[in-house]
Amino acid sequence: MSKINLAAYWASSCGGCDIAIVELGEHLLELAQVADIVFWPAATDFKYADVEAMADGFIDLTLFNGAIRTEEDAHIAHLLRQKSKVLIAFGSCAMEGCIPGLSNLVGPERALRRASIETPSTDNPTGVLPQAQYEMPEGTLSLPRLCGVLHTLEEVVPVDFKIPGCPPNHDQVWKALQAYLAGDLPTNRLLGVDPRTVCDQCPRVREGKIRVKRFQRPHEVIADPERCFLEQGLVCAGPATHAGCGALCVKANMPCRGCYGPPESVADQGAALLDALVASFDGQSDAEVRQIVETIVDPIGTFYRFSLAHSFLQKARALTSWGDDPCASQAATEGETL
Amino acid sequence: MIRPEQMDRRFVEEILAEPGGEHLLTCWSCGTCAATCLVRRFNPAFNPRLILHKAGLGLREAVLSSAEIWACSACDACYPRCPQGIHISDVMRAIRNLAIRAGYEAPGPAAQVDAATCSGCAVCTRACPYAAIERKPQMVNGQERTIAWVDRNLCQACGICVAACPSGAMSLEAMNDAELLTRVAAGGWLEQPGFLQGASDAPRLLAFVCQWSIRAEEEWERLQGLNDEHLRVVILPCSGRVEPAHVLLALSKGVDGVLVMGCHEGECHYQRGTYLGRGKVALLNEMMAAVGLAPQRVRFAESSALERRAFERQVAALREAIAALRPAEISEVRG
Repeated sequence: MSKINLAAYWASSCGGCDIAIVELGEHLLELAQVADIVFWPAATDFKYADVEAMADGFIDLTLFNGAIRTEEDAHIAHLLRQKSKVLIAFGSCAMEGCIPGLSNLVGPERALRRASIETPSTDNPTGVLPQAQYEMPEGTLSLPRLCGVLHTLEEVVPVDFKIPGCPPNHDQVWKALQAYLAGDLPTNRLLGVDPRTVCDQCPRVREGKIRVKRFQRPHEVIADPERCFLEQGLVCAGPATHAGCGALCVKANMPCRGCYGPPESVADQGAALLDALVASFDGQSDAEVRQIVETIVDPIGTFYRFSLAHSFLQKARALTSWGDDPCASQAATEGETL
Repeated sequence: MIRPEQMDRRFVEEILAEPGGEHLLTCWSCGTCAATCLVRRFNPAFNPRLILHKAGLGLREAVLSSAEIWACSACDACYPRCPQGIHISDVMRAIRNLAIRAGYEAPGPAAQVDAATCSGCAVCTRACPYAAIERKPQMVNGQERTIAWVDRNLCQACGICVAACPSGAMSLEAMNDAELLTRVAAGGWLEQPGFLQGASDAPRLLAFVCQWSIRAEEEWERLQGLNDEHLRVVILPCSGRVEPAHVLLALSKGVDGVLVMGCHEGECHYQRGTYLGRGKVALLNEMMAAVGLAPQRVRFAESSALERRAFERQVAALREAIAALRPAEISEVRG
């Protein structure tokens, strides 16, 4: 059997998804027997020119992590789509925008100012911002421009499969690769997951009738390690999150944050979590309900921590704003329904 | 015709001995309860006066086998109006308890669990106003898992659990997501650009209306006639059934505003649904503001038993609020 050509890329990402590939550990040796790595900026020295020189469809499989935040990300997404037979949105950023997607709340200018000037660890006395073009005696330096909003990979190019997770669990990555190599791919385009939601894998005790008068954040209480977080008044995204991680966070006594995205038949994770949470309110009057709502700090960051860029909320926002976007091209999102 | 041999005095004693059934015989059969009852809009055969009367006569079989004893949703609209102060929903519960013991079952409809999809997360068991859902170990595809189980005798088909279920495992035949979305989108209504995009001459509104919030019959009859290209009315069993995802989907398609119409505080037909509807809209509003969408576009409105034309007033108010949002230049171009 001839080897397949494998590529991995990072767009706007933290590097965690590349670590998830490295975490394959000894499986990497097995992978090396069946695959040639033809492009992987995080681990190997290839240049964009090397990819441009490839014939179309030369790469069998590309694991694309990171969101589309700059012109460069969008350019490479198009390039890799052209050169790859199968393109996988690898990890939460590529699939649904993830944490960087929350910057869509304020837009690129504000995000740039915050990152380059305002953060406590930044020393920038002249207040200079990164420039798209900068003249030096040696010539002109350039940086890619920021997109008007951060996009998911699928908004920019068609995607064949998605592997959720921030980052994807390495066991699931290996299972997904094996499924690809065996030609045993699911029809629903989602790889590296288990059936149902995180609650299905969560060992905690759910009493089932306990409602909540106020919500607290994880740093404000020491959670009971045996009981359901929601029944302790801690927001847990488990009920609205696809299983696949093995309930890692809840086993470490931290509520699920929702990085595996929504379960199969759910289009909008944040809306599903909001509904699930409200159902547990212990309020018998409008005033009491208002009080409980007020204890939920930062609803967007809580419900859409990973999926804002891919949400109905974002799409609604896009209808009435965001003028010119250097990254908006073919907007390949399929007609999404519930 | 009622024959003396059908009258079973022991049946009366059994009801009187059941918690909640104590006041059965104080009923005058005046019919105020039936005149007040909202269930009769959808189930005209349901008549609390008749049930209490038959029960008081000891007509055991006729009462226990009737489908109507299960129809009371304990909204208690009749309770404050009963001149004898009978807590009729309590009497109904006492009768149902006897029926269950005699082997009868509620005819439904009831919420249904898709066992293969359910994770047993307990969101629905907390959501249910009637404690009708429990988690039970069940065999699913050869594997024992603890998942949701609906007690048909307690379920009132309010749909609150269907909305709450975060994995799409819970459904209700007449009010499932697919049907609601069909009603929202029928005739391509959802695919037309909106007023705030400068493409419609007036705001386009989607209204989710609780089936109990509009009490006057003539207003209820008129409701569907209000549908046009600028207004889509979708009836819900309860404002607690509203799905934030449906609201956001509508906004993402260009609908200008969404009205969720529920009952006044304390008047919810399903006890807590109106609070849940309110809570959802409050959180949606907060999130809309954070993302830069005008929160005025989604509104929870209420209607009480004594109000008339509340729906039309709320629609007009929402239209006005949205008209005020459109940038001046678009308004000028469009006149």
